[in-house]
Amino acid sequence: MDFSLLEEHRMLQETVRRFVKQELMPLEPLVLQRDTQGLTGEDLLPNDVEDRLHARAHEAGLGGLDVPEEFGGLNLGTLPKCLANEALHHTITPFTFPPDAPNLHMLMQTCTPEQREKYLLPYARGEQRSAIAISEPGAGSDPAGMQTTAVKKGDQWVINGRKIWISRAHVADFIIVMAVTDKGKGSRGGMTAFLVDKGTPGLVLQRQIPVIGSHAPWEVVFEDMTIPDSQVLGQLGHGFAPMQLRLTVRRLEIGSWCVGMAQRCLDMMVDYAKQRVTFGQRLADRQAIQWFIADSATDIHASRLMTYHGAWKFDNGEDVRQEASMLKVFATEMATRVADRAMQTHGGMGMSKELPLEFIYRRLRPMRIFEGPTEVHRWVIARSLLKD
Amino acid sequence: MKTLVTVKRVPDPETTIRVKPDGSGIVTDNIKYVINPFDEIAIEEALRIKEKQGGGEVVLVSIGGKSVTEQLRTGLAMGADRAILVLCEQPLDSLAVAKLLTKLVEKETPELVLMGKQAIDDDSNQAGQMLAALLEWPQATFASKIDFAADQKSATVIREVDGGLETIGFALPAIITTDLRLNEPRYASLPGIMKARKKEIKEIPVADLGADITPRLTVVKMAPPPKKEAGKKVETVQALLDLLHTEAKVI
Repeated sequence: MDFSLLEEHRMLQETVRRFVKQELMPLEPLVLQRDTQGLTGEDLLPNDVEDRLHARAHEAGLGGLDVPEEFGGLNLGTLPKCLANEALHHTITPFTFPPDAPNLHMLMQTCTPEQREKYLLPYARGEQRSAIAISEPGAGSDPAGMQTTAVKKGDQWVINGRKIWISRAHVADFIIVMAVTDKGKGSRGGMTAFLVDKGTPGLVLQRQIPVIGSHAPWEVVFEDMTIPDSQVLGQLGHGFAPMQLRLTVRRLEIGSWCVGMAQRCLDMMVDYAKQRVTFGQRLADRQAIQWFIADSATDIHASRLMTYHGAWKFDNGEDVRQEASMLKVFATEMATRVADRAMQTHGGMGMSKELPLEFIYRRLRPMRIFEGPTEVHRWVIARSLLKD
Repeated sequence: MKTLVTVKRVPDPETTIRVKPDGSGIVTDNIKYVINPFDEIAIEEALRIKEKQGGGEVVLVSIGGKSVTEQLRTGLAMGADRAILVLCEQPLDSLAVAKLLTKLVEKETPELVLMGKQAIDDDSNQAGQMLAALLEWPQATFASKIDFAADQKSATVIREVDGGLETIGFALPAIITTDLRLNEPRYASLPGIMKARKKEIKEIPVADLGADITPRLTVVKMAPPPKKEAGKKVETVQALLDLLHTEAKVI
């Protein structure tokens, strides 16, 4: 058993940390200011600033970490991607190295040679943005309740339905849409993924929904949206498994986000405890605060090991659905605890919007809901232990 | 142009340094190490020279234990072509370092040696000057701008000196030591990190260089700087003057 990171993984970690320190940290006051003005998601950074960051990241070759070489990437795998994500989440300045989401993993499993040229390659190079539409107003974690249908007419598909909680729908060049193609078969053979281009007639961006945290997902409606048969992504009726794979990778990533954010909270707690004096004593000398710090460090350590292990196992081609569920539950609850302690330690300053803690606190809350709520994950973990 | 760049492994300036209770050195447990920041500037400059001239070679040199491989690999990831590691576990003073570098310069015959003006761990600021003396080469220390003649036979360097900036010209080969404002070092890019895996780090046992590295200096004691004490408020100007005279003893 060897827990050490490879030399190139450590160097990557160093490069990303430096990128965060030099490029992203100085933008925090701006992000906090814009957040206070009510801006969210992509708008937290002005466009020109975001373009500059992308250019700097491109210079440093910080894209395509987990993209295989045949698609123009560096094929480092999910573990380095998680290391990079952890370092990126030390700051509240929102920035992701392209490609923007684990949709990559879904596309890699499913794209036809034509789709590969048109979608996968530009996406892997960071030239295109993506979104995925899974949840519906009446069906979130339960795909069997999915109402959006795709009906074949000649060599065209006609899609009708309504999807909700879609991040980046307004900026995405294409949206992966999950729809029912055979009601009787449900998620086993009856659910298909489709590639839908921005601006396709019948694709309606209904409304943007502000939510707690820093993003504002969309509700999207399909009204007799007609697309050619060539837009079917993967095998007809078998969209569920590739989608699951994508969700698994996302859950590993969420683990690394939480570790990064919690580490930032702990760093702030430690710094503050050493300088803040109340009733003649430093906070660092008070046992209540010491326990906050000790428990947080322990929490973070456990989550970090779970994240690295899950990513490592995934990179070795093994099934990590169970580990990903455990991590999703544990890391999101862990970071919530740590952020709460950090806010408590900071007292009045902790609740102010002048420090990033309040932002982190809000940002963590939806993470226990999206990509499968905590309770569903617990149920899934228990179900696999209790079956037979 | 072939450039030799020296690289020293030093504690990360952002880590908290603690002196051992017996004063024999610093506590090295759990310390993170980095390339000496001035050496990083030297690597960056060597890479820029190579890019500008459209050719040449950047060779990194370090002296120390196997662990220095980590810093050399980072320099290779920034873009240097290859590295030499002189394996030596014992601590060395500046003169010993300069003597070992003399031997390496004789082997490698670079047109230019770029060094950080000093290492941030012991702040000696001597190795570059000593190397220039031993080789009888021109030297330009504290460089904040470096230009070469079209024939690459001479250089002009702007130096940061006490009174301002000094511009000097000299023939190559030469030693140049870098100051803070010379450039802003690049990131080790991801493709650079991947390429660095395949680049050569040649290890040479220190004995093979045949230099006299007998220590001339002994570190007697290391002590942390005294803790800064809180200031005082005084009621009157007279009280201030009295304290400056009796306590601070500055007037």
